[in-house]
Amino acid sequence: MNASVNVSPAPGEKNRMPGSTRIRQFFSQYKIVALLVAVALIWAYFSYATNGAFLTSRNISNLFRQMSITGMLALGMVFIIIAGEIDLSVGSLLGLLGGVAAILDISQHLPLPVTILLVLLLGALVGTFNGLWVTWLRVPSFIVGLGGMLAYRGALLGATGGSTIAPSSDAFVVIGQGYVSPATGNVLAVLILALLAYITWSRRNARQRLDLKVNPVWMDAAKLVAAAVALFVFVHVLNDYGGIPVPVLLLLGLLAVFSFIATQTVFGRHIYAIGSNIEATRLSGINVDRVRLAVFALMGVMCAFAGLVNTARLAAGSPSAGINGELDAIAACFIGGASMRGGVGTVHGALVGVLVMASLDNGMSMIDVDAYWQMIVKGLILVLAVWADVVSSGARR
Amino acid sequence: MATEAAARAGEYGDCLLDMRGIRKTFGSFAAVDGVDLQVRAGECLGLCGENGAGKSTLMKVLSGVYPHGSYEGEILVDGVPLQAHSVADSERAGIAIIHQELMLVPELSVTENIFLGREIRRFGGLMDYPAMHQRAEALLRELGIEGINVAQQVLHYGSGHQQLIEIAKALSKQARLIIFDEPSSSLTATETRTLLSIVADLKRRGVACVYISHKLDEVAEVCDRITVIRDGKHIGTRSMAELDTAQIVTMMVGRELGQMFERKPHTIGEVVLEATNVTCLDVMNPKRKRVDNVSLQVRKGEILGIAGLIGAGRTELVSAIYGAYPGTWSAELRIEGKPVHIRSPQAAVAAGLCMVPEDRKRDGIVPLMGVGPNITLSVLDHYARGGVIDGNREAHAFHHEMKRLNVRASSPMLPIASLSGGNQQKAVLTRMLMPDPKVLILDEPTRGVDVGAKQEIYRLIFDLASRGMAIIVVSSEMPEVLGLSDRVLVMADGRIRGDFINDGLRQEDLLAAALELPHRIDNA
Repeated sequence: MNASVNVSPAPGEKNRMPGSTRIRQFFSQYKIVALLVAVALIWAYFSYATNGAFLTSRNISNLFRQMSITGMLALGMVFIIIAGEIDLSVGSLLGLLGGVAAILDISQHLPLPVTILLVLLLGALVGTFNGLWVTWLRVPSFIVGLGGMLAYRGALLGATGGSTIAPSSDAFVVIGQGYVSPATGNVLAVLILALLAYITWSRRNARQRLDLKVNPVWMDAAKLVAAAVALFVFVHVLNDYGGIPVPVLLLLGLLAVFSFIATQTVFGRHIYAIGSNIEATRLSGINVDRVRLAVFALMGVMCAFAGLVNTARLAAGSPSAGINGELDAIAACFIGGASMRGGVGTVHGALVGVLVMASLDNGMSMIDVDAYWQMIVKGLILVLAVWADVVSSGARR
Repeated sequence: MATEAAARAGEYGDCLLDMRGIRKTFGSFAAVDGVDLQVRAGECLGLCGENGAGKSTLMKVLSGVYPHGSYEGEILVDGVPLQAHSVADSERAGIAIIHQELMLVPELSVTENIFLGREIRRFGGLMDYPAMHQRAEALLRELGIEGINVAQQVLHYGSGHQQLIEIAKALSKQARLIIFDEPSSSLTATETRTLLSIVADLKRRGVACVYISHKLDEVAEVCDRITVIRDGKHIGTRSMAELDTAQIVTMMVGRELGQMFERKPHTIGEVVLEATNVTCLDVMNPKRKRVDNVSLQVRKGEILGIAGLIGAGRTELVSAIYGAYPGTWSAELRIEGKPVHIRSPQAAVAAGLCMVPEDRKRDGIVPLMGVGPNITLSVLDHYARGGVIDGNREAHAFHHEMKRLNVRASSPMLPIASLSGGNQQKAVLTRMLMPDPKVLILDEPTRGVDVGAKQEIYRLIFDLASRGMAIIVVSSEMPEVLGLSDRVLVMADGRIRGDFINDGLRQEDLLAAALELPHRIDNA
């Protein structure tokens, strides 16, 4: 017996969902496909314009490494935006935490694990501090972020004395510049595939046991094959140029964690509920302030990751690190389908948004587009992407 | 059909509004399917139908929300085709709509709201406040409304007064046809009386009205003719003189409706919830007490009704007990004799106390989420291990609950905002039943809910009481309070003015208690 059929629609309600809503649902379900098509078009154009240089494994490897820092910020930011808030301080906080990492590494000669741990902890603390202003003291997050943007940049300038701190230790640099050996990459790919297969299998079993609708076998199989092909191509291309870059692997690991949180955990569900209607969520007996605080704390941790990678990539702590980083991260979330009003957005969407931005940066630099044009184009793309989203979702007002 | 023909005969000549063969589709679904509707000047037409029957869609067609061309059929105003492309177009034709959800800007003054978009200006685009205030006051006086300071922000007034301000606004636009969409859903009995007399007055002045309401006694009182639609189809138009409310209900639902309140025997046990000295201070003006030192008790298996006029402090009282009052409050609570400290809804739910809030759209639904996840929201932890949701167990649970409480949706993942009010309410109610509370507070449990769902909710309430749940029902509908409750508290001015055992209790008794003090709106 199929339970979803049992929930029979009301007579007058069977088709209450108008056609436009159905199209909207299709788009929201397959928004990611549309975005990936956009990425493919961008890549095709740059590949043509650079006579194929854009699509070499060297450039692809670079592109992914370039997107890793903004990607980490976007992962934290997408939760903030889904919860209906905004955080403008992340660029400055990235710089500050990167600067602290450089100081701990270069001036204090702390061992790498200690440096990493301290920076992550500091990130969580500063994020919590931001969150306390928003939740406990009821200051709008936009203002808290604006204040933090100034204050953390100032703290960074004070801590570094306004000059670059270099050079980082060799061990530290690996976080930003290293590669995982091709063999390890292959093993990882196989392990991930095995994990995916196991999850699919156990989910099917559980659904059968609970009398819920089970996807046809071919559908699940096709999904697995598609995942396998994507994984293989990805690892193969990166292995062609020395292996998977460490920051890219780190980003992918964080992507998995954040996707998991968003879709599989109580915490993730509560973030969406708060963004959609915070009052109803509170009245349902949920501690909304604790959830929001955790979202800001997570954002701080992601700033720490991004700061560490950034410092390692430059092998130096720079007082200008992360300037405008918040704007890229926020833009990526919106390109990836998050809504200004909260309650809507996906983790993978935000990352594809980052990929769009990074591809534009990378491609336009390769074909020698002036820096000012690059900014204009990126600005246009952001507005156009959100406009396309608004049109396709049929949202009024 | 003879009566129908009679009701229509000779009308086309003097019709103010004539809608013919209106059909509006969404994809393959026809929300309105060939509806005719005529209104004469100085007449009030009742438009009846269950939620989702197509009343709102029809009115959106008329008021220009759905522009000309997006529907089939034609609309004639004074015999001239109306091809409205926007609400402004239909307003120019003299058609104004007063929505169920009031469309006032709370931060603006009464005057500014009435003249929003049509401000009286002085040279240089400056607002001519004296002229506008004067005109606004005149409008309110014409309507016989007292106690409104036109320079005061609208947020200081309750929904009853806001409704009246909306009517004044419609009149200020020289409206010749006013559509009232569920006008009394948030009004008290007295305010409803005022509204009905205003409608009667409008009729005398030659204004045509369309009155959409679930409250059939009001429809019967104020309307001259009634058009019933069901599932988007025109069921019939009759003169009110030849109908009674039971017949209207039969036309609306297409079947005879059984007893509304099927009381189920339930035994009343020991005290479950005891609240003493509940005091709530006004959010804007902390000197004013919204609830003044109120105490109450509810017993196991007892249904306690709380009646009172709007602004009496009922919602404030129950939200303070639930730990959700927005301002400053104090209360001493005991659950099953043990003192509990509840300062947040979270603590209330943990203590076995759940509440379904009054305003479903604002405080109830999580609109973008599916119906299923809306239901499990309060108890998501139950389906999780280490914070990780077992999606299959959760799905199993909400499938089961949706079936049990007859929450009808084509998929549990369908955003709850797209369901009818009745199904939304059942879903929110289910959500608050999931924690298996000892005490359930229902604030206006059937507001904006169609007759069928109403009956289901009543049945559920009796069922829960018979299983030993203590239930508090706050309601502005006296028949609902009387039909459900074992005991009734009447509140006025933040205090309890009456405590009745519901045995032969009449509406008059409750009203008398509620009116013990002259009802006044205190804006100081």
